[in-house]
Parts: sequence; structure tokens; C-alpha cells
Amino acid sequence: MIVEGTHFFPGPREVVWTLLLDPDVLAKTMPGTASIVRVSDDRYEGTMAMGIGPITAAVFDVVITMTDRAEPEHYTMQIEGRGKFGFTRGKAAVTLAPDGAGTSMGYQADLVVGGKIAAVGQRLLDSVSKLMLRQGLDAMTRELEHRLAGGAA
Amino acid sequence: MTFGSYMGRRVLRLEDARLLTGRAPFVDDVDLPGMLHVAFLRSDDAHGLLRSIDASAARHRPGVLAVYTASDLGDYWRPGPLLVPPPPVPGLVFHAATQVPLVRDKVRHCGEPLAMVVAESRYVAEDALEDIVVDVEPLPAVADLEAALLPDAPLVHDQFGTNLAAQVHQRKGDYASAKAAAALVVSRRFHYDRGAAAAIENRGVVASWDARAGELTVWDTTQAPIPIRNGLASMLGLGESHVRVIAPFIGGGFGPKIMMFYPEEVLVPWAAMRLGRPLKWIEDRRENFYATTQERGQIHDAELAMSQDGRILGVRDSFLHDTGAYDPYGLTVPINSQCTLLGPYVVPHYDSEFRAVFTNRPIVTPVRGAGRQHGVFVMERLLDIAARELGIDRVEIRRRNYIQPDAFPYDHEILFQDFRPLVYDSGNYPAALEKAALMIGYEDFVREEQPRLRREGRHVGIGLVSYIEGTGIGPYEGARVTVEPSGMVRVATGVGTQGQGHFTTFAQLVAEQLGVDVASVQVTTGDTRDFNWGTGTFASRGAVVAGSACHAAALKVRAKVLALAAPLLGAQEGDLELRGGRVAVRGSPERGLGLGELARKANPLRGAVTPGTEPGLEATCYFGPDRGNAASGVHAMRVEVDPETAEVKITRYVVVHDCGTVINPMVVEAQVQGGVAHGIGNAFYEQLIFDDNGQLMNASFMDYLLPTALDVPTVELAHIETPSPLNPLGVKGVGEAGAIPTGAAFAQAVEDALAGTGVEITEIPLSPSRLHQLMVRARGGAR
Repeated sequence: MIVEGTHFFPGPREVVWTLLLDPDVLAKTMPGTASIVRVSDDRYEGTMAMGIGPITAAVFDVVITMTDRAEPEHYTMQIEGRGKFGFTRGKAAVTLAPDGAGTSMGYQADLVVGGKIAAVGQRLLDSVSKLMLRQGLDAMTRELEHRLAGGAA
Repeated sequence: MTFGSYMGRRVLRLEDARLLTGRAPFVDDVDLPGMLHVAFLRSDDAHGLLRSIDASAARHRPGVLAVYTASDLGDYWRPGPLLVPPPPVPGLVFHAATQVPLVRDKVRHCGEPLAMVVAESRYVAEDALEDIVVDVEPLPAVADLEAALLPDAPLVHDQFGTNLAAQVHQRKGDYASAKAAAALVVSRRFHYDRGAAAAIENRGVVASWDARAGELTVWDTTQAPIPIRNGLASMLGLGESHVRVIAPFIGGGFGPKIMMFYPEEVLVPWAAMRLGRPLKWIEDRRENFYATTQERGQIHDAELAMSQDGRILGVRDSFLHDTGAYDPYGLTVPINSQCTLLGPYVVPHYDSEFRAVFTNRPIVTPVRGAGRQHGVFVMERLLDIAARELGIDRVEIRRRNYIQPDAFPYDHEILFQDFRPLVYDSGNYPAALEKAALMIGYEDFVREEQPRLRREGRHVGIGLVSYIEGTGIGPYEGARVTVEPSGMVRVATGVGTQGQGHFTTFAQLVAEQLGVDVASVQVTTGDTRDFNWGTGTFASRGAVVAGSACHAAALKVRAKVLALAAPLLGAQEGDLELRGGRVAVRGSPERGLGLGELARKANPLRGAVTPGTEPGLEATCYFGPDRGNAASGVHAMRVEVDPETAEVKITRYVVVHDCGTVINPMVVEAQVQGGVAHGIGNAFYEQLIFDDNGQLMNASFMDYLLPTALDVPTVELAHIETPSPLNPLGVKGVGEAGAIPTGAAFAQAVEDALAGTGVEITEIPLSPSRLHQLMVRARGGAR
């Protein structure tokens, strides 16, 4: 499954960078994230749940490893999710570029999805993933606006 | 009822009352005191190295009695048997790799079992699956037939150094000379993709060990109860007579249930013995999409050499066959494809080579048709294209190439799946063609109706194809016929039954010879306690092989009746007749005896059984045909295609079928109708879609489409009877007939409906969206 696109953040690149890598922000903004902990500089561990068609609560233990990080321009993540409903694994690359007063984010993820979730959720997988990502990015944008307006994290 | 009154009669199915009122037992109906339930943990990965598996948490879950992984099986862990060794074709390459009970080191397809949980309920067992921690190091999957054979491809089985499972080349004549002499050479690539058998009842195994008696009883949805019994006895170190396998009523077999030994079949009885409690495992539908065998992925590069006047000079075919992760069934499926391609035609020169390929997909074994579909599809499509290019009518080109009715036995000079020469025993192909063309109104449709409807802007088409189905192969089956003192006649045979109507057709064969009411004949199938020699239900052979055994046993009992009754009635045997459940002097019905009374006299409590005779009115006989016979037929259909949505409506479906002597026309018609439904599913609805990682993406009936009653027309059917000389009844098989040529007929009809648009169909299954793509592409649009 390929998930790719761009997203505009109305704020400076360095702030966006910090938000994207902040486990608390990720936990708050990314739909279905029950917990996410930064266990080392380059490694996050967490639990995510998603509902796809007949599977109402597919819980995944997720490990994210940063493989290639160049602040504040780009990073690459190795993603490994496993749960009783199957697995997902793959790579995602994120680039950040200044865009006027804001930041343009480009993302491209190439994910393999397997097990029950692939077998019975295939029809909806693409649209659900995209929907969840859009919700997450929108929430993150609101968080960014909140911070820029002087609110606490 | 009188002697001679049952063959060819539309006797209502004797088993239907039980089936329709819910009184017929199925495996899942077995409920034993203290019974435990089994669930299997299956791999999410299609290909990977099993690094570790930790079941300790699962073992501690309340309600769990045992969890087994490969390492817990000890010596019991061993790959399954190679069911069918390769045939003696010179130069043949064959790499045998059979399925394992639980993965020990390497996962080779999604759904391959990793662990087995035994618990107080299925609910607890399934929960415990989630407690098992599995570490699989993923490997790139072998998911493409052509890429699998490239030098750098990942390997399904490392020990072979290749994904090539087999390579077989069969030749007749000299194709190169045929091609050199040809006025037209048609060359195309054809695809046929994989589907599920989708029986209404999934698989299931119940096992019960009686330690005091030292007896194991297994209820199994198998099509082959006797080989299962023999295999289990050998694996478990028990005497064959101490294992009883019961294959009760089964909701559809279609081939995958002849596969042996499924991991569950091996493990459930073993664990029942270890735990001393009865165990039950019932496959759920999602498991069935992975754990039950499948069929039909092949890619053919085929070439047909024709003369200017539309005569076949030769055929060359080279194809790849997807055998899945293991090849326990040997080469049956691709050899069927190779042989069935020749069909009812005179093909002077034939050159056919196939390569079977291991892939990281579920195992391939025969599914209704067993490779025959592909051969028919390739040959019929090549003929359709040749007809178009030569300007010859589609019916006419077939007519010109048929093996003629006086040419039998006809030798195609290659080997068939039973290792015997591919020799057709009998047939009348031109008669079937003319009858089918007449029934569907081919001439009128092509000359008048189609042009008129086309002028109205409607896209209507007609398809008409021929096929041969090699049926009724050996090795043998047996039957025992017993007249009981009550007058009831019991018949026991070893084949299992999955809805074919065995309880009726076998009863008809016996009632025919014994002159009894067919309803007084009780048939038992699929219980090794009642009959324990035989092979199983496959290859459209029940009526041919088991039927002939029933017939032989009935004749022997008839002879015993006559021999015993003649002196008692003071008459010559030749003056006696059997009718109405009695044996009596012809013309003097009062000088007679009931068969039940005679059965009592045949089992005296005083006196003696004289030398050379046996007590009772009972006989056991076996039948093994010299080789398979050739059933045949013509399928014709009319379709209408919606040019906007690419939806296809089948408006009429005609089958003219020849299965030799017909025992019960209604049973034959039902088999054909069911087969056509299966074939329509294959043609336009059913497709298992795997991604590049070997993940099955439509493992549920939400996404895997089966045709419904609304999609399947009622088949208009006529019979041609050319009795087979290879068995005393003259019968041929019919179980797979309906499903075999459907894709070819569908492709021709749809292409005809779209004539002039440039759409050429070289693949099955189609779907509305795929057909739409082809239409857009033909218009020069984007793919």
C-alpha cells in the first residue's frame, strides 16, 4: 500500500519538525494511538488501534525506527506493527520545505499489510488509512496553530 | 417395481428427505461427552523464517488444556505423503515437497499452521491463539509465476535451488512440420486465475480415542475415508481395523476434500489420543480461504496451425502451472490441462510442455475440473480466433475437426493422469454439436436475431464450445450387497458422498438386479466399519467405478438367489424371475418366496452350508477399469452485454452431454446444473487476489464473489448416450462436466456480443470491471 501526499503547515519548519517528532503530540493527534513512547533517540514504541470494515478494533504494537534524519529537512522511518489482526511494515519518508510563512510537508509511505486485516479489510484499507492520516495531520495543524498562538503543548 | 425398471429412470433422491429435514448427520453435528475444541494459529506472513514461537502464556490461560507447536510433535512431525507420483514420461523433472503438520522452520504460505490449541471451548481456544508470540523474519515472497523462475528469485524450497516443481514435455508427431505447412498460425497468451472451491460446508475433524478398546474413531469431511483410515493407522501405530473413519454427509467436496493429509487431519486424532478426550475442529470460512487447497492459476503460450480450409494441422502449447507452496498431488492438474486441450478434435501434431512452479500461495490440488478448464479454454479460444481469421463459422470449424463416431477407440498418443495412454473409448461429437446448435437456435440467432438486435444497439452474443472430460479412472472401488431377513437390501461402499446422489443411483443399480423397490435399498457410504477397501470420491468416478462394483455385487447376489430358490421352488433357474421383492416362477407368481425369507433360509441354524456355497444372500465385488473413459459435451450460451457497465447477463444456457448410459437423468442434470454454476463463478465472479507479498486480499464472502441463483440460468439439457465399453454399465462420469467448458463458452459469447469493438478475451476470470477495462483498451483508451 502506497500512501503519499503533501500537507501544508501554517508555521515555521523547525516548529513543525519538533511537533512531528514529539511522542506526546503524536499520541494526541494520530487517531487510534493509545500510547507512544520515545524509548531512544531513534526509536518509538506504542500501541495503535484502527477499525476497518468488519474488524472494529485492530490493535497493533508499533515500533518506529528513524533511519535517516536530517533536521529539519527530512527523515525516514521504518515502521513495524504487529497484532492479532495481522501486521503492517514498511518505510515512510517525510520531507519538510519552507513554503512562504509555512512549511510544506511531503510524505510517502510504502507499507505491506498482512494477515486478517489485509484479507478482510482490503477494500477499505486505502480509504481508512488516508482518512486517519488526514485526521491526524489536521489535528496536528490545530496543535501547531494553538502553539503558535501561545498555548502550551 | 420389476426387474429392469430402474436404469435411466428419474427416481427421486432417496436421501433428500433426511437432508431437507435436518436429520442427515454432518461432522459438526458430532457432540461427544467431554469433548474439547481445537483452534489453529496460522501464519500472517506468506514467506518467512520462523525464529521462535512462545506458547507459554497460552498454556496458562484458564480453559486451555494443551498447546502444540512443531517441536512438541517429536517424531510425529513429518511431511505428508506424495499422493500421486509423477507419470513415466521420458525426461520428466519432478521435485516433491509435501505439506507439514505445523511449521518448523519456514513459513511458505499465508495461513500455514504454526500452533494448535486445545481448550474447553472454541472461544477460549481462539482467545489463546492471541497469547502465542511468534517471531517470523519475513522473506520476499514468490508471488508471480514468471518471476519465480528467474535466477534471482527467492526460493520457496531452498533444497531444490529453483522454484521449478516439475517440467513435463509430451509430443505427438512433429509440430514444426505442421506449422511449416499451415496457411494460418494463431498464437496467443492465455491466463486462467485461481479461485476457491467454496463448498458450503468447510472442513472439519472430530476424533475420539477409546483407550480400553484401543480404538480410534474419526469423523472427517474427507472425500477419501479409507485412505485416511489407513494413513492414520500407520502414522499412529494402530491396526487398520482399530481405526474407524466416518465421512458422514458432507456439504460439497469439489476436490479439495480428497487432499490428504491436511495438518488438522493428522493432528486432531493424535492429540485426542494423548489427551484421552474427544476433540473437535471445524474450519471457519476465513481459514478455508488459506487452509483448504485451491486451483487454477496457469499461463499458456499456445499456437494453433490451421489449413486454409479450417483443419487443425497442429498445436503447440507451453504453460506455467501454479502449484502453490507444496505439490502433494503431483502432476494431476497440469497433466489434465495438457491432455484435455486436445478435446474432441483430430490434432495430428501436438507439442505440449509445462512447468509447474512453487509459489508462496496456498497449495493447489484438483478443484472440480482439475486443470481441464485450462485446456478447453486454450483450444476453444484458438479455434474461435482461427475461425474469425479464416472467415469460417464457429460451429463449422468445430464440425470439420471432430474425431468421427466410427473412429473409436481413438488414441491421442500421449499419457493421461492415470498413467494410461489417452485413448477415448466412445463418443459422438457431431451429434452433440448439431443438437446443441439446434436447441440454442444458433443459425437463427446468427442470421436473424443478432443482426436485428444489433441494429437496435444491443450487444448480444452466442458461444458454443466442445469439451472432453476424462472420467472414471482406477484404481478400483468395491461394494457389498446384503439381503437382510426383513427383505431390506443393504449396500455398503467405500466412496464418500458429498451430495452427488449416491444413495439413489447405487440403490437403483442394485434394485435393478434384485427386482426390489428402490426405497428398500439402504446405501452406506464413507464409513470404514461398513466397507474398508477403496480409494475415494474424485475424478468423476463414483458412478463408473463404485457403481460398477455395486452392479457386480448385485449380480452375484442375484445369482445366489436363483441358485438357492430354484430347488426350493422346484424350478430351473432360467424359469425364475425377481420382481416385487420376491423370486418366483415366471408366469406363476404364487410359486415364489420373499427375498427376506430366502435370506433366512440361506443362514440356517441347523444343517450345513454345502461346500462351494456361502451363508446368506450377500456378495462383495470390486471393479477397476482398465483406464479412464471419455465423457463429452457441448455447452452453448447466449449473453447480453451492457456496453456502459460491462455487466453480462446470460440469457440462455444449453448443455448437450454424453456420460454414456444414464442411470438417473435427474441426478445427471443436477450435477451439470451445479457444475455450470461453479463454471459461471469461475468465469465472471470468483477470483482469489493475492498481492506481491503473497497476501490474499479477499478472504471473505464480502469480497470474494460467488454467483447466486439470480446469476445462474436454468440449464436446458439434453443427453447423448454412447455407452462406454470399459465398464459393464456403459456409464461415464459427470461430476465435473458442467464446470469445465463454461469459461470458454462465456469468453466466446461475450466476445461475440462485442464483435466489431476489437475486444479479444484471453483470460478467465473476467469481471465487469475487467471487461470494462478491455473494452476501453480496445477503443484505444488508457488501460
